[in-house]
Amino acid sequence: MSDDRQPGPAGVDRTDEPDLDRGIVEAWAARMISNPERAYRASFYVATGFFLVTTLFPFFWLLIVAITPRGDLSDIGVFTPGGTPRTEVTIPLLEWTLAVPAGIPADVNAAAFLEIFDPNVVPFHWYIFNSFLIATVATVIVLFVASLAGYVFGRLEFRGRNPLLLLVLITSFFPPAAFFVPLNRMFNAELEVLSPLLQDGSLYNTPYAIFIPLSALYLPLSIFILMTFYAQIPEGLEDAARVEGTTRLGALFRVIVPLSAPGVATAGVLTFITVYNEYFFSSLMTDGQFQNWAPMLAGILKFQGQYQVLYDLMAAASIVAVLPVTILVIVAQEKIVSGLTAGAVKE
Amino acid sequence: MTDHDTDTNVLMRPLNWLETQSEAVFAYVLLAPAFLLLGVVALYPLVRTFQFSLLADQVSAPAPLGGVVGLENYVDLLAGRALLPQQFLDPTFQTPLLQQALFVTVAFAVLSVLFETLLGFGQALVLDQDFRGRRWVRVAIIIPYAIPIVIQAMIFFLIFNPTIGFGTEFMQSIGAFGSNPLASSSDSFLIVLVADIWKTSAFMALLILAGLQSVDRGLYDVAKVSGASAWQQFKYITLPLVAPALLVAMLFRTMDAMRIYGLIDATAGCQTVPSLSCLVITSVFGTRRWATASAVAFLTAVVIGLLVLVYLLTLRNREVGMT
Repeated sequence: MSDDRQPGPAGVDRTDEPDLDRGIVEAWAARMISNPERAYRASFYVATGFFLVTTLFPFFWLLIVAITPRGDLSDIGVFTPGGTPRTEVTIPLLEWTLAVPAGIPADVNAAAFLEIFDPNVVPFHWYIFNSFLIATVATVIVLFVASLAGYVFGRLEFRGRNPLLLLVLITSFFPPAAFFVPLNRMFNAELEVLSPLLQDGSLYNTPYAIFIPLSALYLPLSIFILMTFYAQIPEGLEDAARVEGTTRLGALFRVIVPLSAPGVATAGVLTFITVYNEYFFSSLMTDGQFQNWAPMLAGILKFQGQYQVLYDLMAAASIVAVLPVTILVIVAQEKIVSGLTAGAVKE
Repeated sequence: MTDHDTDTNVLMRPLNWLETQSEAVFAYVLLAPAFLLLGVVALYPLVRTFQFSLLADQVSAPAPLGGVVGLENYVDLLAGRALLPQQFLDPTFQTPLLQQALFVTVAFAVLSVLFETLLGFGQALVLDQDFRGRRWVRVAIIIPYAIPIVIQAMIFFLIFNPTIGFGTEFMQSIGAFGSNPLASSSDSFLIVLVADIWKTSAFMALLILAGLQSVDRGLYDVAKVSGASAWQQFKYITLPLVAPALLVAMLFRTMDAMRIYGLIDATAGCQTVPSLSCLVITSVFGTRRWATASAVAFLTAVVIGLLVLVYLLTLRNREVGMT
């Protein structure tokens, strides 16, 4: 909103006149009427505040659950951890009673953040490790395969280009459930060929069963992002590299990919985040044991044990698991924004 | 362009061969890995899903799939005769589960996309302004979109947990929720809806923001000079020009909402809020009805496919109309 102030209509004076003889509310209302810019600005701040509170409050509350001592879990307030002294306040007209915090909590327990790594409860670091490994491998596969495909779709003219591109697009529309039954059978089948590599010859309970489907599922988005970036590299640069004696593939990986580094980073960051965040295959392709490559989500659900639910540990583990993606979002926000919009608009 | 690479070891030989081929062959070879991956994980399984759906269920035999029964599974499903895990929404057990799942999925998609569009538009309008700290407000608004589904589910599971969360108490005080919302289908549906809106409004916001930023600012100056109010500016300039971006974003969100599974599985559970994807999983693991599950899965794909087809045809007609 522009800040240039113009005199109000009909010669109503600017708002700097002394308001000393008016009440605060009246003065505020008068200023709003004489200067609608101000009213817009106020509503803008209200909207911004509303969106900030609604998006960030759940994380704050998660932290409150995590630091509440286990005995006080049933006493957690909206803004204060369990065990905080409160006094009842009755709102006169509505006859509601509100428990208002009246002091600092007796005991705060940060040990939950250490307990989640206790090998006797749930070794959460192993689940995080599995998730990182799966997400990294999937990202590398997607970047390599999508680079080849993005180069072809972005720079080459050949018969069948448009039907093939449409096929990639259509594949990305189907729900994972539509592939699940045959894939589940395929990954549970015991294959003689694989038995030297894997314990029982089946892909179930191995990272392959997660990163192979996820690489394919998130491949189309990266193809569309890289296609746009690769198409923008001038023809002359590629030709120059070819004259210098590189092969066509060499020109792709030595000239086009490095020059499209922002696009490759965008596709990489988005793929990493989506694979790390995925639920469907991540929850169904292992039995939930960290030895069997179960990813982070299985770890969090493990705190919901057979005999008791460790709510504070669930919350602490969630905070720990959310940190990597939060850092990625803060560092690479421009890339994420441009990738999501470019991907969707191209498709 | 000659290739003066004299190194002809095993690794280089295929690369050199590739170099001598025409552009079309080169293109197909480079596309091979992508289509191999898509073929193994998506295209082939899609065909197999359809094949499985034509077979008989064998609940207790060693092999879960029996002989060919044709379209019987589909007929049973649509007629409500199929034996599916549980029937929860309707206490009288009159409504077939497929209809329930279809209703849950479509209702969820429509409601979540509606609210996400409204909130996303609000967020986009805020982010479209120039102000100090805009970068950080944008980070705050994107963060929910980037968090893992299981954590999104955990947050709302904890908030609406009757013992520790404040959500249930609040909703009960205004008379909206029963005693244990995470065990009640309608209450859980609302929780899942709110959780989804919280997370994915940001996606709508980003796509709408891209549309907003492509609007020529000069139009607003013209509108101001001719005395248009803020609402008129929004209605006659912003909305029509953002509409294409908005429609693309809504299509993406609708497709995404129709495959909902993880959020439900980690909060209320698939028995309480049966979506179509949930039904596929519970039929496979709950009752070992692979053929029925395949039929449900294929129906889901068909429903989404029809949606996309309608959209693509509309888009094509518009492009034809333009040229």
